[in-house]
Amino acid sequence: MDTIAPASLPTHEAPAAEKRPWIFTRPTAKTGLISWLTTVDHKRVGLMYGFSALFFFLVGGFEALLIRIQLAVPNNTFLQHQTYNELFTMHATTMIFLAVMPLSAAFFNYIMPLQIGARDVAFPRLNGFAFWVFLAGAIILNVGWFIKAGSPDIGWFGYAPLTSKAYSSQFAGDISTDLWVMGLQILGVSSVVGSLNFIVTIINLRAPGMTMMRLPVFTWMTLITAFLIILSFPAITIALVELMMDRNFDTGFFEISKGGLPILWQHLFWVFGHPEVYILILPAMGIISEILPTFSRKPLFGYPIVVFSGACIGFLGFGVWSHHMFTTGMGAVATAAFSLATMAIAVPTGVKIFNWIGTLWGGHLKMTTPMMFALGFIWMFMMGGFSGVMHAAAPADAQQQDSYFVVAHFHYVLIGGSVFALLAGIHYWFPLIFGRTVSEFWGKLSFWVIFVGFNTTFFPMHFLGLNGMPRRTAVYDGNMGWNSPNFIATIGAFILGIGIAIYFVTMVYTLFKGPKAARDPWDGRTLEWALPNPPPEYNFAVTPSVHARDAFWYEKHHRDEIAREKIQHARSESEHGGIHMPSQSWFPLLTAIGMLVGSLFLANHNYLGAISGGGLTILGAYLWSPKAQAATTCTPNLTPTAKTPTPSTELPLIFLFPLSLYLSPSSSPPIPPTPTPSIGIKTKD
Amino acid sequence: MSHAATIDHHHDVTTSTGIPNKKLFMWAFLASDCMFFGALISTHLIYRLHPPPGSPDVSKIFSIELTSFSTFILLMSSLLMALAVNSLQKGHVRSTRHNLLGTIFFGLIFLGCQVYEFNHFVHEKGLTLSNSIFGSTFYTLTGTHGCHVAIGVLWLVLMYIRSFKPADPSRSWLARAIAHFVVFTITTVAGTAAVLGLVHTIQSHESLSVFIDHHLLATSTTVIGLALLTWFGFSRKPVDFGEANAIDVESMGLYWHFVDIVWIVIFTVVYLLEYL
Amino acid sequence: MSLTMDAKIATPTTHAGHTQSKFHTFVQIAMVLSVITGVEIVIIYLPIGKWLVVSSLVVLSTVKFLLVIFYFMHLKWDKVFCTILFFIGLVLALGTVAALLALFGAEASAPLTSQILHHSAPVIV
Repeated sequence: MDTIAPASLPTHEAPAAEKRPWIFTRPTAKTGLISWLTTVDHKRVGLMYGFSALFFFLVGGFEALLIRIQLAVPNNTFLQHQTYNELFTMHATTMIFLAVMPLSAAFFNYIMPLQIGARDVAFPRLNGFAFWVFLAGAIILNVGWFIKAGSPDIGWFGYAPLTSKAYSSQFAGDISTDLWVMGLQILGVSSVVGSLNFIVTIINLRAPGMTMMRLPVFTWMTLITAFLIILSFPAITIALVELMMDRNFDTGFFEISKGGLPILWQHLFWVFGHPEVYILILPAMGIISEILPTFSRKPLFGYPIVVFSGACIGFLGFGVWSHHMFTTGMGAVATAAFSLATMAIAVPTGVKIFNWIGTLWGGHLKMTTPMMFALGFIWMFMMGGFSGVMHAAAPADAQQQDSYFVVAHFHYVLIGGSVFALLAGIHYWFPLIFGRTVSEFWGKLSFWVIFVGFNTTFFPMHFLGLNGMPRRTAVYDGNMGWNSPNFIATIGAFILGIGIAIYFVTMVYTLFKGPKAARDPWDGRTLEWALPNPPPEYNFAVTPSVHARDAFWYEKHHRDEIAREKIQHARSESEHGGIHMPSQSWFPLLTAIGMLVGSLFLANHNYLGAISGGGLTILGAYLWSPKAQAATTCTPNLTPTAKTPTPSTELPLIFLFPLSLYLSPSSSPPIPPTPTPSIGIKTKD
Repeated sequence: MSHAATIDHHHDVTTSTGIPNKKLFMWAFLASDCMFFGALISTHLIYRLHPPPGSPDVSKIFSIELTSFSTFILLMSSLLMALAVNSLQKGHVRSTRHNLLGTIFFGLIFLGCQVYEFNHFVHEKGLTLSNSIFGSTFYTLTGTHGCHVAIGVLWLVLMYIRSFKPADPSRSWLARAIAHFVVFTITTVAGTAAVLGLVHTIQSHESLSVFIDHHLLATSTTVIGLALLTWFGFSRKPVDFGEANAIDVESMGLYWHFVDIVWIVIFTVVYLLEYL
Repeated sequence: MSLTMDAKIATPTTHAGHTQSKFHTFVQIAMVLSVITGVEIVIIYLPIGKWLVVSSLVVLSTVKFLLVIFYFMHLKWDKVFCTILFFIGLVLALGTVAALLALFGAEASAPLTSQILHHSAPVIV
């Protein structure tokens, strides 16, 4: 394990050049492909998460459009039933695990350390590892599109016995379900490792004065989400292990013929699955809680209540899983208990909504694009919440179960909720991350098109569901009365697609050609806005001291005090050896590749290959561990106008791997350790 | 640079809470692992609540003597682990090494007992992974725990070898560390084979010469391996391992103790309750 | 980083008294743990009520569990936050296990096979 603990291992002089075997030669490239492959910088890891997530968001959206084309007219033959099953399975799996979760993780990575005044996360290499493992899981899940077995076709919930060999193997060697199992397992490793890192970071790496009740709400929601992840993923890990044992080693966990109970899968899955929906929405709520105060020019209304409600939602989220299973017949007591607990969750959620409205009330509202998305979030999320409370009533749920009413509900909370907030977040932090200003006209246009398209698609589904249209069926008859709502929904889906296209084209254009953004363009309140854009590798030239909840707002209103304090801090930091940044490493990538290779072999039931992959993983982890103590040097540039290397020009190249080998500049030597004279920040190894 | 007992092992000034990052990481991970084993133990108990017709009579399969013995061994390994951490917090590297070796030894005995138990159940009692739901849940649960123990042993061995890293950075140590690890592995395997052979010889009342005839390779490999390990362990040069590494050993110790408390739960709910 | 000479490790430290006491605590706890394990094994063969055996086993295992986490794992000497952190996971896990067992113990959840067994054959527990 690696850690940045600047003063815990004090070396009083730079050690004489350590003789290192070639395998431990530190990669030092600051630009180009190698710098990205070996990066441990939380901002670069965040960007890689973000770009991968947006790529998979588009893939999942494309899958959704295919589904909507198939359902546009009755008895359509556009898709085969098998393909349709693969599409709805992969659409859900992609959107949940490969788009919304990693996009939230991108913000956790990029924004959270900046908000608490830290220079990086607690375990930077583990952070890089979490990303590469995520990418490995994404590859495993999607590799099915390119092989004979096809993609997973068992639904994102993978209910037993659909996953048993009897039902999910169309032919010998159909490994689509095994790929799904291994893919989710690997993604779970990534999420848990990443979340442990965030927990330690938030609890241990706060700047002086940043007490827990001064943490920005987004950071609080990151913390709660991280707890939900580490406590809920083990349940699905176990469920997947049992399923893997059933498929690979003929155990009987979910095999009725061997005395297994398929219902157990549902329980274990939803013990994970329900906290998972809060894992998707709590980061979104955090983003909204940042955006609303900024553009209302007011502090967040009822900060402690918002934080407590978030924690409350997270905790209650572990006690409601069986509301996904009301129709399985659990007995009156269990049904009543889970029904009540589910309704109880509406209380803290409602409290949050009222606090957001309280924040807006009497504020000087600035109707920028992020604000529009945030307001859209509140409304759309409330709509989804209302239909959610309807499901909580078990008798009503018996009517709604597995109908399009449920589809409408969770798309309102997932698109109207999570995705709106994440799109708002991209807009909000874009000037900070890339140093460019997004056009308000195109941003607002994309918002309105997305908003109209979204409602046109999903509002009719409420009626479809109440009229009895079931989920997950590829065709319907023309005489059921479902024709026009389905057709409208398909048109809406294309409007939504156009809106997303406008959004992304605007973003890509701005990335390359947008006007440069001024520092702190929104007049922000939290510490990330104290940084130049884009932020330098070491984030804060001088670790800030926090005096109030809206830390940067306080700084802006107490400039003299802060300036004096900074000089003092800079002096004491330089006495303690200056800024100390972790060095880059190949081993997180190597370890993740080992996991990728091992899982692919295991999915193919090739145990020798699986063991070799496991061996590669252990080798990577072993080589990684020997030395965490050496670190690269950093020279902070304290003049705010100075040009810092911007990632924006080369960033997209990382996603064109082969091309980038030719295009990216050759690696430059590390910045020489020249102390800055005025402040005297010393660099050290 | 640092002499014994200068580090406050319960307060780290570089973090906001005073808890070292690695310790906090480990505790959060263990909280997560509680849910992991919670789900696994639930599965086992749920299937014990509803055993399908034809389930085996479990109390006739279990051997309480063997399980009690391995429980005792694991508890003692936990003691040695706690002592190892205690020694290193005082800067006593050699005593730490001895305690680590003891922990490794007991961990290996536990694993050996488990391998013997599984082998015995499969071949003597006819309980396999796939022929009954009890077999599925039992082997998966205790096997997962065994994997945790095995990972712990691997970690302990790597930490033990790490404790010989020379302080002089110009000395090459990677090749030596790998060789040390390889010798350790070979000696463990050969030693296990030799001990099993000896037990077999004694049980079948054969003479010592028969044992030497059949197990000459394993025995000689063990002897040579032990000699090599002693040589590797004979280090008078200053090492880059000391009180500052106590947190690494302590994090590993937390993991090891957790594996022990999981076994405490498994021993009660999986084994003892079957005898009622 | 700390460079510790192997040769000097044998020198007694100024904290020797503290060391001794912690060493003895650990050894005593290990002995208590072994004794409790022994009691647990004996208790299952005692001809007393089943409920009494089960509750004793639960109590004894809990004591073992707590001894290990508070002494061997240093929770007693560490910041209280470590205890809170671990107990968040532990309590949620216990709650989930209890809820799952209650759900599957309910009559509505009994699988058909074991109901058949229940009505047609003498119960073997």
